[in-house]
Amino acid sequence: MKTLMGLSLTGVALLPLSIWAASTEYQDIERGRYISVLGDCAACHTADDSQPFSGGVALETPFGTLVAPNITPDPETGLGRWRYEDFKAAMTEGIGKGGYHLYPAMPYPSYTLMPEKDIHDLWSYLQTVTPVENDVEANQLPFPFSIRQVMMGWNWLNFDEKTFEPDPEQSDEINRGAYLVESLGHCGTCHTPRNFMGGEGGDKFAGATIEGWYAPNITPNAHIGIGGWSEDELVEYLQTGGNRFDFASGPMADEVHHSSQHWTDDDLYAVARYLLSGAGLESDDWDREPPEPLSEDNAQVRAGSHIYFDRCSGCHTSDGGGEYGIFPQLASNPVVNGDNTSSLIRVVLAGSRPVATDAKPTAPAMPSFAWNLSDEEIASVLTFVRNSWGNAAAAVSPGDVADMREALTGE
Amino acid sequence: MSKKNDTAKPSGLTRRELLGSSAALLIGASSPVQALTVRGTPEWKPLSNNAVPPVDTDAGWQFFTDDEAATVEAIVERLIPADDLSMSGKDAGCAVFIDRQLAGAYGGSERLYMHGPFQDGTPEQGDQSALTPQQRYRLGLGALNDHCRNEHGATFAELSAEQRDQLLTQLEGEEIQLDDIDTLVFFEIVLQNTMEGFFADPLYGGNRDMVSWKMLGFPGARYDYRDYVERHNEDLGFEPVSIGGRPDWQA
Repeated sequence: MKTLMGLSLTGVALLPLSIWAASTEYQDIERGRYISVLGDCAACHTADDSQPFSGGVALETPFGTLVAPNITPDPETGLGRWRYEDFKAAMTEGIGKGGYHLYPAMPYPSYTLMPEKDIHDLWSYLQTVTPVENDVEANQLPFPFSIRQVMMGWNWLNFDEKTFEPDPEQSDEINRGAYLVESLGHCGTCHTPRNFMGGEGGDKFAGATIEGWYAPNITPNAHIGIGGWSEDELVEYLQTGGNRFDFASGPMADEVHHSSQHWTDDDLYAVARYLLSGAGLESDDWDREPPEPLSEDNAQVRAGSHIYFDRCSGCHTSDGGGEYGIFPQLASNPVVNGDNTSSLIRVVLAGSRPVATDAKPTAPAMPSFAWNLSDEEIASVLTFVRNSWGNAAAAVSPGDVADMREALTGE
Repeated sequence: MSKKNDTAKPSGLTRRELLGSSAALLIGASSPVQALTVRGTPEWKPLSNNAVPPVDTDAGWQFFTDDEAATVEAIVERLIPADDLSMSGKDAGCAVFIDRQLAGAYGGSERLYMHGPFQDGTPEQGDQSALTPQQRYRLGLGALNDHCRNEHGATFAELSAEQRDQLLTQLEGEEIQLDDIDTLVFFEIVLQNTMEGFFADPLYGGNRDMVSWKMLGFPGARYDYRDYVERHNEDLGFEPVSIGGRPDWQA
């Protein structure tokens, strides 16, 4: 009892100082937690929601498989022996503790833009995470990509180490959006086509294939990008997982689930304003005339119109208008008009279950049509949809459907 | 639990248990209602479907012998004769439909309780026969051909259209007593299955080219008619569509 009393007295004596220290620290840690959400660390580093950040999510890259490591403070298998300087080098230079090179599946080419304060707060937060013993073999690439030194040349060609500089000619909101999109949100990691080395090449935000899905064009082009979306619609998509055009599926479903549904309204609107304004892009890169739609007399369009009427119009409606909140509108839909049809083919073949969010917990699913429609029929119905109700895009080839069917079923 | 306890305790709810649980229910009803919040979403898997695989109409007879198949084709050809409205039941694939149904779960009454006692029952109680559809066809077709050989010196399939019509009329009117099986138990299942084969989705082997749906103007496996609900008394011009599609789907 006496000992207890003594301890309490000591506690009271120390109180003023510790309150000051703890409160500052708490704010930093909480800020770091939110930065981890903005950066979507969990998408790759949390395989099991009950053991956050213990690693284990496999990333299929064109070069082979990489598995995201354990970033909990576990000393043996996590970052327990790292110092802040080690963490900062990983985030801004792509160099791990001891000097080895990270692969850019870890988006350090984006995180390098983070200001020191953000990196520090994120580090403070990660040190409060429950340590989990989980040994991950991150590098499962085949030779020669398994040799980490190859990244030295890659970095020289594809990577610039630099901190984000706000554009003084733009509003604070646009600058916040720019930082979120270019750095923490690392949107370009999926939405910018990669060059042959897997680095982000030209055609920024013009759309790219990832894990058998097409991460669509997110430039302000109204026909194939998101220029036809309002700020509210873009925010609705990122925050709730869907708007009248589209539901987040595939890798984007993970992004919304782990990350953007938890962003503040201010941050989401900053992102929407930045992306829709085209700031950060050269307008020559995205401002193109849409093509003319294929004629109704085209054999695929005509056959597709019958298939659409028989199989699709029950939900997506005969005028392509869909039903808000459950069946996406196909008319004037940029995803439908995209240059790359892999997501469209995939969704018709396999069906799709989009993300369930706190705001929209239902996650309405699209049924699979692989059992019912042949490769030719799926190509025809997509060609019809891509050339009706304001849409215009190239015909879909049955061979592309066959390839996707093979990839999905292994047949 | 011991055998003794099994016999001592009456099975099912006792009156006391029933009253007790009703009381609990009343108490539950008067306390504030707690809505159940369901988290997460039902399981969904890519590529999943519960579609029936289409019948392969070229695969040969699955249940019938060649003689039985010839007899069934000779029957369905007369139950639904070719005329101005449609092709015959034989050409529409009714015998194929019946063959595939008999080869599947229906043929062995797998869905039904098929243990005794078997009693005639009232008409309202429906079919009470101990015979599965497979047994009815096997016994009935054999008995019918025995009858034809005895009376006409030929199998049913070898008889003229008029003779077959007369025989079917006699079966329906129970003017013929077949050996081994009740005449109506046989005739009624054949008539029923022939109609099913003629009107069911072509996926199941009959209704070739959706012939019966075209005859009736039935639009087939469609889902949504909201665009049409207010258009009365006009020909909407729907081409029927099978679960498997329709010819206009081909580019």
